[in-house]
Amino acid sequence: MANFKILDSNTHKNTRVKLGRGAEFGENIHTVPVIAEELHQLVLEYPICFIKDNNTGQFGLNALLGFEVGENLFLEGNKWNAQYVPLHIRRQPFMAGINGEDGDRPTEENTVITINMDNTRVQESEGELLFDADGKLTPYMETVNNLLATLVNGIIRTEAFVKALSDNDLIEPVQLKVSFASGEEKRFDGVYTIHEENFKNLSAEVLSAFHRSGYLQAIYMLKVSMGNIQKLVSMKNKTL
Amino acid sequence: MENPIKSIVIVGGGTAGWITAGVIASTLKKSAGSNYSVTLVESPDIPNVGVGEGTWPTMRNTLNKMGIRETDFIEKCNVSFKQGAKFSQWVTGDKDDFYYHPLVLPQGFHNINLAAHWGEGGNNKSFSQAVCPQEEICELGLGPKKMVTAEYAAVANYAYHLDAGKFSEFLTNHCVEYLNVKHILDNVVSVNNKDGDISSVSTKHNGDVAGDLFIDCTGFKSLLLGEHFNVPFKSCKDQLFSDTAIAVQVPYQDDNSEIASHTISTAQSAGWIWDIGLFNRRGVGHVFSSQYISEEKAKQELVDYLKESCTNTDDLNFRTINFNPGHREKFWEKNCVAVGLSAGFLEPLEASALLLVEISAQMIAEQLPTHRRAMDIVAKRFNETFLYRWDRIIDFLKLHYMLNKRSDSQFWIDHRAPETVSDYLKEQLELWKYQVPSDHDFEHALEVFPAASYQYVLYGMGFKTNANPRGLSDTSYREAQNYFDKNEKQKQEFISTLMPNRELLKKIHRYGLQKV
Repeated sequence: MANFKILDSNTHKNTRVKLGRGAEFGENIHTVPVIAEELHQLVLEYPICFIKDNNTGQFGLNALLGFEVGENLFLEGNKWNAQYVPLHIRRQPFMAGINGEDGDRPTEENTVITINMDNTRVQESEGELLFDADGKLTPYMETVNNLLATLVNGIIRTEAFVKALSDNDLIEPVQLKVSFASGEEKRFDGVYTIHEENFKNLSAEVLSAFHRSGYLQAIYMLKVSMGNIQKLVSMKNKTL
Repeated sequence: MENPIKSIVIVGGGTAGWITAGVIASTLKKSAGSNYSVTLVESPDIPNVGVGEGTWPTMRNTLNKMGIRETDFIEKCNVSFKQGAKFSQWVTGDKDDFYYHPLVLPQGFHNINLAAHWGEGGNNKSFSQAVCPQEEICELGLGPKKMVTAEYAAVANYAYHLDAGKFSEFLTNHCVEYLNVKHILDNVVSVNNKDGDISSVSTKHNGDVAGDLFIDCTGFKSLLLGEHFNVPFKSCKDQLFSDTAIAVQVPYQDDNSEIASHTISTAQSAGWIWDIGLFNRRGVGHVFSSQYISEEKAKQELVDYLKESCTNTDDLNFRTINFNPGHREKFWEKNCVAVGLSAGFLEPLEASALLLVEISAQMIAEQLPTHRRAMDIVAKRFNETFLYRWDRIIDFLKLHYMLNKRSDSQFWIDHRAPETVSDYLKEQLELWKYQVPSDHDFEHALEVFPAASYQYVLYGMGFKTNANPRGLSDTSYREAQNYFDKNEKQKQEFISTLMPNRELLKKIHRYGLQKV
C-alpha cells in the first residue's frame, strides 16, 4: 500500500496531488496520531488519548475519530466536519524520511521529503504541482514542507512528553463504555488516559518541572478532551 | 524474651538469599516505620549452585511487589517465557509419547469440572488440548503475550526461564539500591549463641553482625539450621530416587533459532533431561539416580540428546551436582529460619525450588514476629505449613513417575512399587479412581499445586477415572460443550495474534513493555 520515494524535482516534475477530504483518500480511519503542539486546537473537537502501537507496544498520542475500524464520524462525503484537521491527515501523501541508519534521530541534514506514489491523491492529471518550471518548490509544496518540519519536531517532543508521563505513572487504561441511541452498548479496550489519582499526588518538584515544560497544560487539555467522547456518541447517533 | 524483632540478617546470597531479602524488605518498606534493618551477609568465595532456572507464574507477582520493572528483569537476566512443561516419553517411553502440563487453568475451572466431561469421550483430543489453548501455543513456539500487553500481564498464563547467576546480581542491585538492604560481602567464620538463640555471626573482616532473626540461605551447607542447630535431614530418596544432575549450557544454533516457551522434560532410562530455553542460550541437564545408572552412561545419554540440536558437544562444559533429595525435619528453629537449599532440595521437576523460596519468604514477611515471644508460635505454624507443602510437592513429583507404563528399565518399574508411594498420595489416587480431582480434595490455603495440575498430569499420563454412576445433566453437558467450543475459538484467536517467542523477546529488548 505504501511506496515511498524521495522527492526529486526531476522524477516528480509532472506529479500532481489532488487536494480535498474523503474516504477515497484513506481518511476513513477511527484513530489518528497527533502531536502535543496540536492539542490546543484538537481539544475543542476530538477526544485525545494514548493508544499503544501494536508492533512496538509504545504509547502514542491519538485523536479518536470513530468507534470502530474504518469509521471516521467527522467525515461526511468530501467534508470534514471540524474547524481543525490533524496535521497527520493534512500531510498526506508526504512523509518526512530519514536518510540513514535504522533508529537515527532526524536532523536538518538527514531529513528528506518522501512521497507515497501509491496514494490515491498522486497522479499527473489534476491537482497541485510540486515543482515549478524551474524545478523549484511550488507555494503548495512550501506549505507541505513547513507542515512536515512541524510534524518531525513535534513527534520528538511528543515522544518525550509521553515518556515523562509514563515514567511518572500518569497513564492508565480506561474502560470506555458508550451507549448509542439504537440501544447498543459498546466497550472499548486499549484506550489510555491521564491517571487522575497519581496526577493529584505529583510532587511539587515534578509539577513545577511539568509547568515549565508545558506538560502541565497539555495534561489538562488531555483530561478535558475526553469530554468529546459524548460529542462523538452524538455524531454516531445521527448516523443510526 | 520480650525482645523486639527489628534486625533481620540473611546469611547467604544466591537467588534464595536475594529473593528473601527482596520480599521481606519490600513488605517492610510498605508497612513498617524506620525501626528495622535487613542485612545480607554473602561470601565472596562460594559460587552459586545456579541451576534453578525455571519459575512458577507466582514469580511475576513476587517481582512486581518488589517494585521491579518486568522489562528490566527480562533484559538483564536473559529471561524467556515459560508456559508450562512438555513431558516426553514419561508414559510409554515411545518417541511420540508426550503430554503437557500447561499453566492456563482448564476453561471455566471455577464453574465446571471439565475433566468429568472430557472423560465421557466424544472428542479425540488429549485432556490439555481439549480444555485449554496453551499446548497449541507452545507447539507452535508462540509467546504468551503481545507487545501491547502490560508488564506482568498475560494473554496466556506464564512463568519464566532465567539465568540464575544474572538473576542474583540483578536482585542484589535492586535490593541494595531501592530496598535499603545492607550488603556485607564477607565470610562467616563463626555463629554466636545467647540463651540458645543465634545472637550474631562473626565475619572475617566486618566483625560481628548481630540480629534478632537469622535467615539461613547458605545452600546445601545449611550453616545455621543444619550445622549450628543440628536439625536432622529427612531424605525422600525412597520415593524420588534421583540424586545426581549433570548440567550444561548450550548455545543456540544461530540468532534466529526458535526459543521454546515451555520446559521440555524428556525421560531417559534412569531419570530425565531438562531443556530450558533462555534468551541467549539453553540450560540442559540430566537428573538421574546413581543407583540405576553410572555417571558415565548418564552423560552419554545427555550427549545423545544434545546431538539432535547441537553440532559440537565436545566444547561443552559439563558440571555434576550431587544431592540428597529431601528436607530438614524443621525449617524454623529458635530465631533461625532456612530458605532455599538449606531447607531442602528435590530434583528440578516442576520448578519447585524457586517456588518454595518465594512462598517461604512470603510467609516470613507476612507473619514476621514483632517480638521474640511471638516467634515460637509463628515458627511452629511455619514448620507445620512447610512440612505439609514439602510432602505435597514430593507427592506431586512422585505422581509423574508412578503412573508410568514403561517396562524397559528397572528405574521406571521400581517407581511404580506401592511401597515407594506415600499413604496420602495412595489415598488421593484411590479417590480419583472414582471422581475427578477437584479443589475440594485439598486444604486450600496451604496447597501448592491446584487440582488442575493434578488433572493435567493424571489424564496426560492416561489415568482413568470411572464415569459418575449418577450420570451428568443435560445442562452440564451443554455448559461443558460451550467451554470446549470456547477453547477452540480461543486457540484460533491466540494463534492469529501471538508472535513467535523469540520475536516477542527481541521486541521487548528493543522497545520495552509498558507498566500499564
